[in-house]
Amino acid sequence: MSWDPSRRVFIREAGLAAVGIGLAPSSLMVRSARAAGAGERVLVKVFLRGGADGLNLCAPYADSEYYNLRGAIALPRPGSAGGVINLDGYFGMHPEFSPLLPFFDDGRLAFVHAVGNPQVTRSHFDAQDFMESGTPGDKGTATGWLDRAIARIPGSQVTQAVSFSSQLPRSFLGPEPVLVAQTLAAFDLRARNWRAEAETLLRVMYEADRTAVGATGRETFEAVNALLSAPASPPANGAVYPNASVGSSLRQAAQLIKAGLGTRAIFVNVSGGFDTHSNQLQNNSNDYRPLGQALAAFATDLGGLLDTVALLVTTEFGRTAAVNGAAGTDHGTGYCMMVLGGRVRGGRVLGRWPGLSRSLLYQERDLAATVDWRDVFQELARAQLGIAESLFPGYTPGPGVGVTT
Amino acid sequence: MPAPDTLGPRVALHLLSRAGYGPRPGEIARVLDHGLTKWIEEQLDPQPDSELSSRLSRFTTLDYTTARILALTNADPRATGVVLDELASAKVIRAVHGRNQLQELLTDFWFNHFNVFVNDGFDRYAITAYERDAIRPHVLGRFRDLLGAASLHPAMLYYLDNYLNTLPRRVGGRVVGGINENQGRELLELHTVGVDAGYAQGDVVEASRVLTGHGIDNLTTSGGYLFRSGSHDTGAKQVFGLSLPSGGGAEEVEKLFDHLAIHPATARFLSKKLAQRFVSDDPPEALVARVADVFLRSGGDLAQVVRGLFGSADFWAEAFVTRKPKTPFEYVVSALRAAGAEVANPAAIRRALADMGQPLYACNPPTGYSNRGADWLNPSSQLARMNFALDLASGAMTGVTANARSLVRDAGGNPDDPRSAAETINRLVFGGTLRAETLSAAARVGSTGSVPVAARVGGLLLASPDMQVR
Repeated sequence: MSWDPSRRVFIREAGLAAVGIGLAPSSLMVRSARAAGAGERVLVKVFLRGGADGLNLCAPYADSEYYNLRGAIALPRPGSAGGVINLDGYFGMHPEFSPLLPFFDDGRLAFVHAVGNPQVTRSHFDAQDFMESGTPGDKGTATGWLDRAIARIPGSQVTQAVSFSSQLPRSFLGPEPVLVAQTLAAFDLRARNWRAEAETLLRVMYEADRTAVGATGRETFEAVNALLSAPASPPANGAVYPNASVGSSLRQAAQLIKAGLGTRAIFVNVSGGFDTHSNQLQNNSNDYRPLGQALAAFATDLGGLLDTVALLVTTEFGRTAAVNGAAGTDHGTGYCMMVLGGRVRGGRVLGRWPGLSRSLLYQERDLAATVDWRDVFQELARAQLGIAESLFPGYTPGPGVGVTT
Repeated sequence: MPAPDTLGPRVALHLLSRAGYGPRPGEIARVLDHGLTKWIEEQLDPQPDSELSSRLSRFTTLDYTTARILALTNADPRATGVVLDELASAKVIRAVHGRNQLQELLTDFWFNHFNVFVNDGFDRYAITAYERDAIRPHVLGRFRDLLGAASLHPAMLYYLDNYLNTLPRRVGGRVVGGINENQGRELLELHTVGVDAGYAQGDVVEASRVLTGHGIDNLTTSGGYLFRSGSHDTGAKQVFGLSLPSGGGAEEVEKLFDHLAIHPATARFLSKKLAQRFVSDDPPEALVARVADVFLRSGGDLAQVVRGLFGSADFWAEAFVTRKPKTPFEYVVSALRAAGAEVANPAAIRRALADMGQPLYACNPPTGYSNRGADWLNPSSQLARMNFALDLASGAMTGVTANARSLVRDAGGNPDDPRSAAETINRLVFGGTLRAETLSAAARVGSTGSVPVAARVGGLLLASPDMQVR
């Protein structure tokens, strides 16, 4: 491990003093967590693990090659049963995204097509690693690109960077504190009649541990106390989240944003059936239904606060342009992003469409990539976190695709 | 091998936590008395464990074939739940109570290496047989046998879509079937030579062509392996240095396994992963090279490879002792063992593992769960671990019996005196190795309150940073 775990230490002096005199430090922690304030801009990254197929997420229905290549798994044209939802006369989004149509129509949802990894790999693991470290071709990078982003903005409370996942995602790997949680409900120590005593004594134990384990223990107690202080906020404006994990993650992401705990970057891990080597139509419907519902609920729930948010939906690579032998597709290259937010320049499909005729496909099999994802990441970091300098070692990002204002 | 027998409880704890799931009460003293080297040799040569067998005897489906499980669930779909309950419960009970700790740990390691996902359709019915027949028998045998058994098991052929990987055919002007690259790619990337071995997309396609036709007889009745020669691509193939002439059949895949199983890149890839499991998240290069050398010289004999790891100076090096964070499963099992717990019904344990991010048999991607301890450190998982410890020690975990009071009393301590309770548990369970700060904090619990002193002390020690590492 090449980063120094001791830099993850951030327990406040006040908290330490409170432990020393045997008090539960909750009340002191609350103030420090609150100080960060609401209304700051937030970047949300939703990662679809497995290589989500861009050609059926946002289908070029007006390109006849699409139907030649996709055969039985091509989505019908707009207006047909099960057809795509027309976006601009050329592209149509997957029919399960119908809850998102109002947000596309009022300009708060954009698609960015034919995005890809400049160092093409069709390995899930390497592609995710490259994308999250932000250094395609280099597996030795010690930090993730979101960790480097968080390091450049003021504040160090554990609620500044939050990941809804079972493990720390590579994007956040590094010295900055991150709250990783599958659920924030009942985020407290379970010691019925001796909770204060248990917390105090465990804090002493973890304070004495100067390794990453001790740092994690200290983060845990900071998170417990920050979240205990957050007001409960049920979904607003009639928003209804689906039961799927993407629904509960985005519901909690909205709660955090509304609570004003200084959260600036949120990662949402989605591990569905995106690796559609077989039975793609059914798998896509199963995944895109809750995804569309959850994104629409998130936007509805936040109301005016959506102006402070830019949410990016991304994946590690696209899939083969042609259907394979099992009504599915194999690992490919170019894919499609979605960006949702109050200040997003939406209502359009951005990027540069490379076309689907055989000679234009990458290695005659994949949608080619014409947009470097680092440019889009940097554009969003600039707009949401105010970061001008490159977050990608050895690379100077271009201006981006114009998805932000 | 160094002479670990001359060393004390700290070394015994290290061995029991690295080559097993950690000590049960009194085990450190027993193993020191028995001899650490002897313990290792016994672990490398597992004998029948009748006590474990009797604990598992109430489960009925562990020895069922996939066909029998399919018949059961075809008659009553609710039976699926029973089958999966039994599989996961047996895994926990084996790890907590089994004598052959190394065999259990390696079964977990190699299952994870050849991961399949329990919630993936047909695999619900095939996963019991998969672990029992394809993984467990080979974990101290030859890697070649493990590779063949796992790769051609219906559970894997389904999970990685190879049952759909066929030579494209023309039927009435339509193309039916075709190459599916999923298993061909993972065979190279995850199961054998590793992603950095230098193969190309062409090798993935050629490996997939070799795998065409290897499928499943019937997904709803027999669930058995079947090779369909008509679906096999008989053309000549070139896979990562292996040439196969045209006209081949089912035997081609065996030749490919032969080629990959003892490839230097495989030796290196697997040795690094094993060194990560047993020594350090970032194992020394020289250690990996030495273990890879044992792998190649022994023709991929996994018992020799593991023996080589235990015989390395790095395995015993102070620099690595207690530096590897436990995975959730390692933590939970080690806490149950440390508490001297009796597990009757592991349902609560399985829920806790899901809360910590490691639900049993439910890792969706083929990479399996992370082998790096550091990847499992996060506040949410940490809180779940602390709460698991507090529930366990206070007797609040349904289906699990643990009594800190009698543990302390039977060992001659005073369960109502915090310091005596802490010191007794430290001596009995940890061989006196707990950190001074951990011990003194646990000894500070108040002597009043509804949760007994010994339970609070035990809970804090199980929740301590000392318990999070091995």
